[in-house]
Amino acid sequence: MSEPFGIIGVFETPEGIKDAARHLRALGFRAVEAYTPYPVEGLGELIQPGRKTALPLLMFVAAVIGAAWGYFIQYWDEAIDYPLNVGGRPHNSWPAFVVSSFEFMLLVTIAAGLFLLLAACRLPRLYHPIFNVVEFERASVDRFVLCVEARDPSFEPHVIRRVLERFGAERVREVSA
Amino acid sequence: MTSLIDLPSGMSLVDLPSEAPVVEPDVTMRSLSEEVSNRVLRPGAPLWWWIGFGFSFLLLLVLFVQLGWLFVNGIGSWGVNIPVAWGLAIAEYVWWIALASGGTIVSALFFLTRSPWRSATNRIAETMLLSAAPCAGLMPIMHLGRQGLFYWLFPYSTVMGVWPQVRSPLWWDFICLICYILMSIMYYYAGLLPDLATVRDLARSRFKQILYGILALGWRGSTRHWRNQQTVYAIMSAIMAPMVISVHSVVGLDYAGGLTTGWHSTQFPPYFFFGAVISGTALIVMLTILVRWGYGLQDVITGYHLNALAKVVLVGSVMLGYAYVWEAFGPIYGSDVAEKTEFLHRMFGFTAPAFWSEKILTVVIPQLLWLPVVRRSQPLLFVISGGIIVGMWLERYMFTTASLEHNYMPSWWGYYYPTLWDWAALAGTIGLFLTLFFLALRLVPIVSMAEVREIIEKEKSK
Repeated sequence: MSEPFGIIGVFETPEGIKDAARHLRALGFRAVEAYTPYPVEGLGELIQPGRKTALPLLMFVAAVIGAAWGYFIQYWDEAIDYPLNVGGRPHNSWPAFVVSSFEFMLLVTIAAGLFLLLAACRLPRLYHPIFNVVEFERASVDRFVLCVEARDPSFEPHVIRRVLERFGAERVREVSA
Repeated sequence: MTSLIDLPSGMSLVDLPSEAPVVEPDVTMRSLSEEVSNRVLRPGAPLWWWIGFGFSFLLLLVLFVQLGWLFVNGIGSWGVNIPVAWGLAIAEYVWWIALASGGTIVSALFFLTRSPWRSATNRIAETMLLSAAPCAGLMPIMHLGRQGLFYWLFPYSTVMGVWPQVRSPLWWDFICLICYILMSIMYYYAGLLPDLATVRDLARSRFKQILYGILALGWRGSTRHWRNQQTVYAIMSAIMAPMVISVHSVVGLDYAGGLTTGWHSTQFPPYFFFGAVISGTALIVMLTILVRWGYGLQDVITGYHLNALAKVVLVGSVMLGYAYVWEAFGPIYGSDVAEKTEFLHRMFGFTAPAFWSEKILTVVIPQLLWLPVVRRSQPLLFVISGGIIVGMWLERYMFTTASLEHNYMPSWWGYYYPTLWDWAALAGTIGLFLTLFFLALRLVPIVSMAEVREIIEKEKSK
């Protein structure tokens, strides 16, 4: 038989999955992932402690680029490529350019946010081994699924099974790769 | 059938207690997911959907006929003339974009305040926004003399080497609208992704599994996914909230930038935004009542939600009343004769019926919402909201045409009479709006399930 992807435990409550995750980490397991129907408070911190996301910073960079880009389009148009005298105002009349630059900045920031979100989630990815277990279908409805992946150096199926069962997993199942 | 008036005995004149349930206690995560997803997944649509959709589609056909007539005969088929060159199309553009803005206000602003009632209503609000925005966008395009050349507004060097005149508020407005629609779609999708995954996992037919599988992009709800989604969604909300204020303020600048009596005023940007708050929220109230009833979601969307929405409408109405005071104070206290004449024309002249009925519908009658008993009665809420939307339409119509009818030069005074084709444009865009909304009811989960699950868990631990 080929190497499995991992072992999952299905939990009924957010407290159950948090206890199990805490314990598995204490036992030294690192390749642990939880799949939940809503963001469970504190679970992310248990599974990947101290993990910082660069997304806000990247979105800020996108905002700066968007503002500069939006302003530049108008500057290029009105001051360089097609200078037009409107009411005697200077060609580079920045107060009139502010509004559109602002809107364009926000558009670029939101677009960057969406695409960075997908990139950070490694999406789109229509297939993932976790989809192989039928129990996973309830992870988007009302169950909390904890998965210890086989790439963990201390992956030991029977230990994991025991821990998951002791913390009240309704079901424990092996996920084929 | 449950009673439309939920009036618990002994509570008629007091507000909902703060510990009142946001979601009924018998709703579980499973029942919520199945109830909401089934509306999308079940093979046939209910009868009321077919009736509503059929009616909307007929109105949409009116739009197509109107567009055909307009393209062939030009905008002379409308009642616009000189001096009243901005007629119903522009007034309705403002009206539609205000209705759309309400969706973002409810969704983004109240996400930032972490209001629990936002979660079950935000999808309805955003769906409304995305259905109304195309109607808004269509109006100024129809209003162009040569509709086929509207792309000249895009800031790229055309083959003639000509650029748009970017110092004009009208161009800012174009940029605002384009950015607003694109941003709203992306914001919608970022919030929808987890719910699409739920629909994917509950789907049983092969076609729907594949369709929602692709739309969900493989969302798994892992801690990494949630953490990223929560971070980005919060920032997006913080961007969308000021965005919508800026969009509607720039619509106000379209008018304020014109040297026309009654328009050339610094109060226009906030005045327009106040109108957006009240009319957009009023439309959300109407749609929420209908969706709740049609889809039997009484236990997910409760009196708590409608009570909160009604309070937002009330706040909007008070803000709008404040704006009306200043709208009158300026010309009456000021020394400009033309401004004063124009304002008297609004109040007592040709547009007086619109002026007064609009004030009654948007400011006077909504004051009933101070009474908890009114906020809890769905028929009353529905009627008051409908009145507000009609009132806002009258307002947009009134200040667009009245100012042009009585501009500075008495020799230029004139009147505006909408023609049949003007009304066809209004009916047609309502058809477009309703058609899009009805289609969305069948295609997307209409309640944000991931967020309501959080509320269910929180209520359990209460």
